[in-house]
Amino acid sequence: MKPEVMVQDLSYRYDDGEEKALDGVSFEVYPGEFLGVVGPNKAGKSTLCQALVGLVPHFFHGNMDGRVVAGGIDTRETTVDELSKTVGLVFQNPFTQVTGAKLTVYEEIAFGLENIGLPRDEITRRVDEMIALFGLEHVRHHNPFELSGGQMQRMAIASIMALRPRIVALDEPTSQLDPQGSAEVFQAVAALRNQGLTVIMAEQKVEKIARYADRVLLMHKGKVAACDRPEVVFSRDNLLDLGIRPPAYTSVARELDLRRPDGTLPVTLDDAVALLRNSSVNS
Amino acid sequence: MRTISLYVEKESFIHGLDPVTKLWLTASLLIIPFIVGNIESTLVCLGINLALLSVARVIRRIFSILAMSLVLIITLFIIQGMFYGGNRTEAFALGSLVFYREGLRYATLLTLRFFNIISASMVLILTTRPSDLIESLVRRGLSPRIGYVLASVLQIIPMMISNTSTIMDAQRSRGMETEGRLVTRMKAYLPLMAPLVMSSLVATQERAMALEVRAFGARNPKTFLHEEIISRHALPIRVLTSLGLVAAVIWRVIL
Ligand SMILES: Nc1ncnc2c1ncn2[C@@H]1O[C@H](COP(=O)(O)OP(=O)(O)OP(=O)(O)O)[C@@H](O)[C@H]1O
Ligand SMILES: [Mg+2]
Repeated sequence: MKPEVMVQDLSYRYDDGEEKALDGVSFEVYPGEFLGVVGPNKAGKSTLCQALVGLVPHFFHGNMDGRVVAGGIDTRETTVDELSKTVGLVFQNPFTQVTGAKLTVYEEIAFGLENIGLPRDEITRRVDEMIALFGLEHVRHHNPFELSGGQMQRMAIASIMALRPRIVALDEPTSQLDPQGSAEVFQAVAALRNQGLTVIMAEQKVEKIARYADRVLLMHKGKVAACDRPEVVFSRDNLLDLGIRPPAYTSVARELDLRRPDGTLPVTLDDAVALLRNSSVNS
Repeated sequence: MRTISLYVEKESFIHGLDPVTKLWLTASLLIIPFIVGNIESTLVCLGINLALLSVARVIRRIFSILAMSLVLIITLFIIQGMFYGGNRTEAFALGSLVFYREGLRYATLLTLRFFNIISASMVLILTTRPSDLIESLVRRGLSPRIGYVLASVLQIIPMMISNTSTIMDAQRSRGMETEGRLVTRMKAYLPLMAPLVMSSLVATQERAMALEVRAFGARNPKTFLHEEIISRHALPIRVLTSLGLVAAVIWRVIL
């Protein structure tokens, strides 16, 4: 299968950065795959997300080496607005993603579509579709700033999705939300998966990543420390040295030495429970 | 959500006019009296503006503005009435204070002009959403970036003000004095401004990125979600205001 996203030996240093924010990063993401990106603060997760949509190097003019190819397009050879039709990016803070120039949620979602110059009937068709998909019907006429954090972030996702990208990157989209809001956003992300999109999501909540991601990219100091299935990455012994904590179920399983046949530890609740049931049947 | 706007939502044919026609109407009624230069033309334009405001059912809004300027106007009458350079003919005297016709007439002209400027602007301001006006201008070639800045400032400033009061409350609840003598208040405002300025600087960069990924930098011609509705009154109004302007210029040149 042809990869949907190809990152080849990507290094990047911000103009005013002392160290490289990204240092020789290579990985691939396949169509329809969900790649979780984890790593401690300053590991380079946000920089990586920005590189996927071309903000690095078109918005931040630092020093970039290597290549990013998303949906067949080399990000260096095009513009951020052209790329927006192929790769989307949802940011951390729902508040700063509100344009501030639009008076209703409906108009806010239409913003990007006006910019790419779609005809009016196509704009309304897509906005209606996004409003329904992300459960924003009851707030469609509200002012964007009046929404709850979770609603605002869903609106941000809807605004990006309205551009119909094939790939969506999300940079810790729930880190500023309360549990209710973050549950809403995870539901929205599940909706993206059902649409067959390729999803790349930076996220601190390892339990969520363990549950949703097909593979996990573990970053540390701008380098790729691991890129594999969640149970392989989270079963590593040196996770804490790399600045992340494994899912709680995984830590418990490690204490109990509860392993799958392939030697990896369970990473989700269901996983752990199934293994426990199995082992009690056997003994 | 507050935005900076005096717009009053009503149904009227003035509200239904497109913003650019209204801008044209307001501008003409505002400058015609200056072109012609006499009291009569000012009275006519003021009359038209007041009529438009009452058709739009927003005329009560301007009374308070006019009432607030009363002191200014009285002062104007007293000073011009007594000391206007062209004063010749005595109108009346209050004891030793002599008022002259020329000065009073000039004060009347200034007052009417002032009223006319206010009421003409209010025809536009009270009946038009700022965002609609901006969008209409962008349709006619105003740069979308400038349009964006204008539109977002109207919403983001009230937002920053409310953030300020949130931060103030937070500082006050930690025992900081935010009221009282100027020095005390200055001391309170500095630590207040730091997080505000920092957070809005960071927010500005993030918002700029968020705009870029929504194709704000696209070079192609923009389209618009809302259709611009040009009411059937728009054309006659534009023709009439243009004729009024031409007439005013002719009057000025010939007389
Ligand atoms: N705009 C910028 N200008 C200069 N340096 C930056 C900028 N943004 C990030 N950096 C630096 O690049 C490195 C990687 O930062 P990045 O924000 O990508 O990490 P992150 O994994 O997203 O961290 P976090 O979990 O805190 O969001 C850090 O050393 C950071 O200081
Ligand atoms: Mg980050």
